[in-house]
Formats: sequence, structure tokens, C-alpha cells
Amino acid sequence: MSDSQRVALQSVPGRPVRSRAAGRRLKRGAASAGWALLGILLAMIMWELVKAVGSVVPFPFNTSDTTMPNVWTMVNGAFQPEMRGSSTTVLQAVMMAAGYSLMIAMGGFIIGVSVGLLLAITMQRFAFMERGLLPFVIASQTVPLIALAPLIVGIGNRFSVGPFEWSTTYSVMFIAAYLAFFPLSVGALRGLHAPTPTSLELMRSYAAKPRQLLFKLRFPSSIPFLVPALKVSAASAVVGTVIAEISTGVRGGIGRLIIEYSREITGQPAKVYVAVFGAIILGLMAAALVTVIDLYLTRNLPKEGPA
Amino acid sequence: MSVTSPVSTTAVRATGIWKVFNEGQSNEVTALQDIDLTVEAGEFISLIGPSGCGKSTLLRVIADLTHPTKGVAEVAGMSAADARQQQKYGMAFQQAALFDWRTVRRNVELPLELQGWSKSSRAARAMELLEMVQLADFANHRPWELSGGMQQRVAIARSLAVDPPLLLMDEPFGALDEMTRERMQNELLRIRQETGKSVIFVTHSIPEAVYLSDRVVVMSPRPGRITDIIDVNLGSRDEDTREAEAFFAAVTAVREALRGRTSGSAARARVGEV
Repeated sequence: MSDSQRVALQSVPGRPVRSRAAGRRLKRGAASAGWALLGILLAMIMWELVKAVGSVVPFPFNTSDTTMPNVWTMVNGAFQPEMRGSSTTVLQAVMMAAGYSLMIAMGGFIIGVSVGLLLAITMQRFAFMERGLLPFVIASQTVPLIALAPLIVGIGNRFSVGPFEWSTTYSVMFIAAYLAFFPLSVGALRGLHAPTPTSLELMRSYAAKPRQLLFKLRFPSSIPFLVPALKVSAASAVVGTVIAEISTGVRGGIGRLIIEYSREITGQPAKVYVAVFGAIILGLMAAALVTVIDLYLTRNLPKEGPA
Repeated sequence: MSVTSPVSTTAVRATGIWKVFNEGQSNEVTALQDIDLTVEAGEFISLIGPSGCGKSTLLRVIADLTHPTKGVAEVAGMSAADARQQQKYGMAFQQAALFDWRTVRRNVELPLELQGWSKSSRAARAMELLEMVQLADFANHRPWELSGGMQQRVAIARSLAVDPPLLLMDEPFGALDEMTRERMQNELLRIRQETGKSVIFVTHSIPEAVYLSDRVVVMSPRPGRITDIIDVNLGSRDEDTREAEAFFAAVTAVREALRGRTSGSAARARVGEV
């Protein structure tokens, strides 16, 4: 169907509701984008205001150009060559690093979510597993990441199966997955326990098999719990990736870049800020990904407030 | 249909059912004590009694949702467990328990889906049933867009999906307002007329039990037992039935049986007199 046909279809008198709803959604999207831009603008003004006041009144913190560069210095710095004579700009280097980290974080997220889901399903299915496993799941998150990272690198480096060779990148992904699985398994477990006694009896009266019970009742009932868990897991995967990149020293990602650029803070203070914004954009992209998953999973559920 | 079934004309036969919770502990409760109950095919039976008299527990034993401590429950001439496996009954609860993520039609399809019906045949069957409960126009709506009474009608359509000979209903109209409730009662009687199902209906409401039932089984708590069974001979029901002398007489008979004043035979005699 061509675009013009689609527009024509939407403007037929018989289907005004959908096009009006679409229009409303578009308007709301534009409004929230406007608010976001306004927020960024306000943040920039605040930043400059603090700097301007700080140059007159003594502040208890350092507002000099080396620690808090002007907004325009940062923007300008983003378009400077990364190193003297290099053809890539700082912005390009940061974007590439953020993309690399996003790939690792996504890998960790997918592995973490799969493991978390499997754990939740096992724990829900067998009460003794819940009693036995849940303490370990919770204890797993009390291990300091800084201690864990070199251990995983050390153990992983000896690991190879056939043509598969472990690389430090997998260690980073593993750590991201390690952080991501926890919120998901806890959230999914609560969700799988969510069906009302009546719906469970109903399924029992239909002599539903365990697999049918899982896919036709427990899993759909768990979605309101699963969506927030996915959001936390995605954020954990991103944070885990950046921190693991730093503590394992893996090249190519945003974590390493932040460390490298922060060493140049006296010479080029704008660089480290650009890298930090790269990390923020990385986080936003992960959040956007989860929003897409969210919209897909909740497409059949009642919307809160008027749709 | 079970009426013409050569195997048995008995829809449900419960013999010597006991259900004891927390057996041997200090908080032991005898929910059911030596229950005998037979429901003939095509019969409409109400279980009535105060909270804690075991009426829902008895329904669950018949549905094989809980096991009796002692005694045997048979449905359609087989054990309750086999009857559940072979879908010989449909069930409706006080909560409609519709799945929010499914459309109305796909909620009705659920039991068929679990039985492995093909997509087109279960859609056709679901539409047929939605037509019966007069909700065909709402097939593609979501459950939360429907009123409480409409949701219960969907639940009833769903309980009829596999065409079971028996309906087990646990206070299905308990959460509805009085006007909706009376309409739903008429609806249920019409559906039962059209389908010839046997029904066991748990309720708190005396007029509801009398209006719907061929027999009202009166139960009493601590320990849960059947204290009386009252025959209701009101013939075919319509709105006038609710204001008829015979209806009030039957209501009085059930009420007195619940208070434990009059024996069942005396009450029956009085219903007959009017």
C-alpha cells in the first residue's frame, strides 16, 4: 500500500477513531520531545550560570575551565580530531566506542535475561528450587564487581572449546549478564506467581498441561512484573559493561575511552565530557530498546489512563 | 447429550464424602461430613448455606480441584479425576477470571485451544457461544471493556465451550447488582433450557436458589453437612414467577430449613399446598 493510499484510508469517514488516535499520539510524542529539549537547554543554562557565578563568588568546588568547560567548548571539542593528525573526530571515536559497548551490553542483556527467565521458571515450578536457589541468586549480587572482574578474566582466559576461544570481551559480556540476570529473575519469579487462585483453578479444571499453564497463563500474567524488571536489567547491563571494560581494560568500548580521556583532562577537558555524554546516550539507547520490547509485550493489556 | 447417554442418567453421584482440613492438628476443621448427593442428568441443583458450610468445598471435590479425605465423587459415570481429564464439566466462578490479554472471543476459545482444536473450528464454536450469550458484537473487545454482567456471560460461554454435560458454578452472580443478577438468572435458565445441561449452583441467595433450581440442597456449618433437600416445583420460570405465591412459599421453606426449624418433608408439603 502506498503512503497516499494509507492516508486516504485513514481519512475515510468509517474509520475516524484510529486516525484521530494516531494524531493524538503524534502530538503527545512531539510534546514530550519538546519538553526533553527544554530540559537539556535548562541544564546548559544552569551549567553556564554556575560557572559565571563561580568566577565571581568563591564556590566550595572548582568551576574553572579545566574541570567545567563551557558548553560551547564541549561542542567544539567534540568535532576536534581525536589525536593530533588523526582523521577521526572525538565525536566519531566516542560514537564508535558507544556502539561497541552497546553491542556487548546487548549480548550481556540477552544472556542475562535468558538465564534469569530460566531460573525464575525453574524456581516457580519446583518449590524446593526456590528455597535452595533464591539465597544464592541474592548472594550473587553482593559480590563486589571489582573483585569479580579479574577472576572472570583469569578463569576465562584458560577457556576454549574447539574453535571457540575466550576473549576478554566475553568476560565483559559475562559481567554484564551477571548484573542483568538478577533483577529479571526476581521480577519474573514474582510475575509467574501472580495468577489469581481462580485462574489457576480454571486452568486445572481444563486439565491444562504444565507447559500450557506456563505459556497460556503464568507467562502472560507475569508481563506487568517483567517490564520493569527488563528496564532495570538493561540499565544494569550497560553499567556492568562500562565498569567491566574499565576493570578488565578491554579496548574499543566507552569505559576504556572515559579512562583514557580523563587522563587528558588538563589539556583537553572537553574530551572526557564528550565521552561521558556518549555513555549517557548508550544508556538512553538501551532504554529505548526496552521501551520497544515493553510496547510489544503490553500491546494487549489495559493501558493506564486514557489511551 | 448426557440425557440420552446409555451409560448413566446420573450426572453426579457423591457418596460418603468427608473433607477434613489440617487433620490431626489443633486447628482441624471438618469442612464436609459424610455427604451423599445425587444429581440426575438435566437437573438444576443449588447448594445453599452460610459461609463455612462447605458448599464450595463440595463443588471443588466434584470438580476434582481438591481431593476428599474419604468418600467417592463420580461425574458422568466416571471418577471425578477422569471426568476432569475428559472435560465432562465446565466451571464458572464468582470472579469471571477472563484473561486480560485475550479478546472476548479468544477467552471463550481457551478451553478448546487447550484441547488442541484447530484455529477455525474453535473460532466458529466461540462465535456460536457468544451468540448464545448475546455478546457476538463484543467478540473482538477486551474483557476490561465489558461490564461485570457481560464478563460473567463470557465466563459462562467459556464454561460451555467443550459442550460438557455438567456446569459447576460457584456464586457466579455473587458480585453483580440485583437487577443484573435477575437478568443473568433468566439468561442462565434460557441457556440451560437450550442445552439441557445439568447444573450445580453454589449461592448465598435464597431467592436465587429457589428461582433457578429443581432442588435446593441446604447445608450447615461446623461440621459442613447437608441438613435438608427441598424440592422446588415452580414449573417453567418467568418474571411473574418471582412474585408468585408458590415462589414465596418455597423461599420460606428454604429459609426455615436454613434456620433448622422445619424438616424437609414438612416444607415440601407446604410448597405443594399452595
